[in-house]
Amino acid sequence: MACARVPLDEQQVTEPGPLGKEHTLPALHPARKEERCFVPYKPPPEDGSPAEAEEFLEHAKFITEDLDWLLALPHDKFWCQVVFDDSLQRCLDSYLHHAPRGLDLAALPSSPAVVDMQRCVHRAVFLTFLRMATHKESKESFLTPAVFGEIIYENFLFDIPKILDLCVLFGKGNSQLLNKMIENIFTQQPSYYVDLDETVPTVLQVFDTILGKCGLYCEGAAAMEPMKLNSQKQHTAMTMSQQDLVDLVLYLCDSTTTIHAFLDIFPAACSSFHSHGFLSRLTSFYETAVPDLESAVRKRNFDDKGLQEDLWKRLSHSCRKIVEMAHLLLHHTCLQPILEGGENMQTFAEELLQHFTSFLPEKRFLSDYDEQFSIADDISLLQQALPLIDETRTSYLLRGVESAWDSVGRRRPH
Amino acid sequence: MSPPRLTGALRSFSNVSKKEAITEQLYDLKTKRLKRRQLFAREGLTWKKIFHLCSEHQDKADQQAASQELKSLLLAAKDIVGTEHGQAAIESAAVFLFETFHNKDHVGTEETRAIKQMFGPFPSSAAEASCACVARLVALLGDSRVENFIQTLCSRHNPQRSSAFGRNIAFSHDCYALDPLEDLPCSGIHEENASLDF
Repeated sequence: MACARVPLDEQQVTEPGPLGKEHTLPALHPARKEERCFVPYKPPPEDGSPAEAEEFLEHAKFITEDLDWLLALPHDKFWCQVVFDDSLQRCLDSYLHHAPRGLDLAALPSSPAVVDMQRCVHRAVFLTFLRMATHKESKESFLTPAVFGEIIYENFLFDIPKILDLCVLFGKGNSQLLNKMIENIFTQQPSYYVDLDETVPTVLQVFDTILGKCGLYCEGAAAMEPMKLNSQKQHTAMTMSQQDLVDLVLYLCDSTTTIHAFLDIFPAACSSFHSHGFLSRLTSFYETAVPDLESAVRKRNFDDKGLQEDLWKRLSHSCRKIVEMAHLLLHHTCLQPILEGGENMQTFAEELLQHFTSFLPEKRFLSDYDEQFSIADDISLLQQALPLIDETRTSYLLRGVESAWDSVGRRRPH
Repeated sequence: MSPPRLTGALRSFSNVSKKEAITEQLYDLKTKRLKRRQLFAREGLTWKKIFHLCSEHQDKADQQAASQELKSLLLAAKDIVGTEHGQAAIESAAVFLFETFHNKDHVGTEETRAIKQMFGPFPSSAAEASCACVARLVALLGDSRVENFIQTLCSRHNPQRSSAFGRNIAFSHDCYALDPLEDLPCSGIHEENASLDF
């Protein structure tokens, strides 16, 4: 055991070496890692055959046993294992990759033993990530914050896709813990903000890809590329194969749920997304893609009506998540600073009005947004915080919202 | 196969993750079982200690009977672990079987799973034989004596769970579920889907 009140990264330990002779080495050293051979995770079988279920149980038991052992290790041994054992990182990565999400198409396993085992693995993986995101466990067991930041970043213990996976897998019931974890990770290692900044264009590209697959106009880089004269006729949501449509809707559903979970759990990320014009890309995506996809799901012939209904639900869920994402972005980047009061209230109010104005041509999005988050309420809030706000402008906006409702042929619920 | 995921795209198309093939499996189950056996062999319970337990405080007849059972247990262990392994591996397997069956009267699902996890597929007759051997040994030695012996020496029965990280953390198993804005309008499907799927 390493000595107390000194950060782990500065501790030395004296212990028997491979030849039995005592030697002194840093407490955080590859020689102190145990050969444990963590196995990668495989998801529960979908068809539930007893042999496959048994195989899953055996595999998962190895993982829970090993992770329970890891979690019971003292602080110094835990970090030696985490930093120097590749098999552990592969095991954790494989869980993030393959663990079933609540929204996956596959039915839940029917065997209670499989369900129980999956729950055990789920908990153990979360606790392992939680411990890996904690640089101070007690007065005696801690890492220097800067060194902790360096360790988690340089060893890819956390990266942006992993953080997004953690949010979508564990965020529903553990949002407060996850918020603390992610906040600590970003605070101790600000390079994650740089990585997030680099990731947002790829996220935007995902939405462009969906538009492209539907044969719709992309606002992004792809739209700038000239189309080959001999390129084949572009498929649309109506003409693509049914499997492609299913995949596309699943992809949209996963993407919107994941980004929403991340922004909801870690609102500090909103400014990174905002700075890339995420809001306007999101609203124009909604306006362009949603009616097309909705129409395809409603009008195409599905032999399996259950699948058609499921796709509709996923599409509608995605719509809700996009609207909620837009609200999160507006709330955290404009509304919240106005409500908190401060020097730049006028600038934030101007920006908020600018965003609402930019929504006016996106009539379908605007009416769906207004249904969930009343724009009139936000404007009223704005008027209370800043009584001198231009009334002509706000009236124009509110008329625009009404007209959006009229043009999509729906009646306002409020 | 996993459905298409956003994070999969981010791993493939951004430069913020470690690039490596996740499918590359460093350790297969055979290697894992071997590693588990090695770790088990380093725990407190040994064949020598079991042998000692069986020979102390026993009259000659009981000692002989116990010695016979220990031989049979080693034979069963050899059938389970495989002949290609040395004496130390066979003795360690016998220790595992002794520990597994010391308080069991038959080979249940849990025991079958535990043996398979340690040694892979095995002949069920060997498991039955070892269970019977251990039961006869325990009868000779007395339940409480064997139980105390196991509790004292076997570290797996005394895990430091009380100090494990996260033991007091309230973990929620809730997961995100579909939350649609509206249901599929029924009238729309039947009216329109007849002629428009071209």
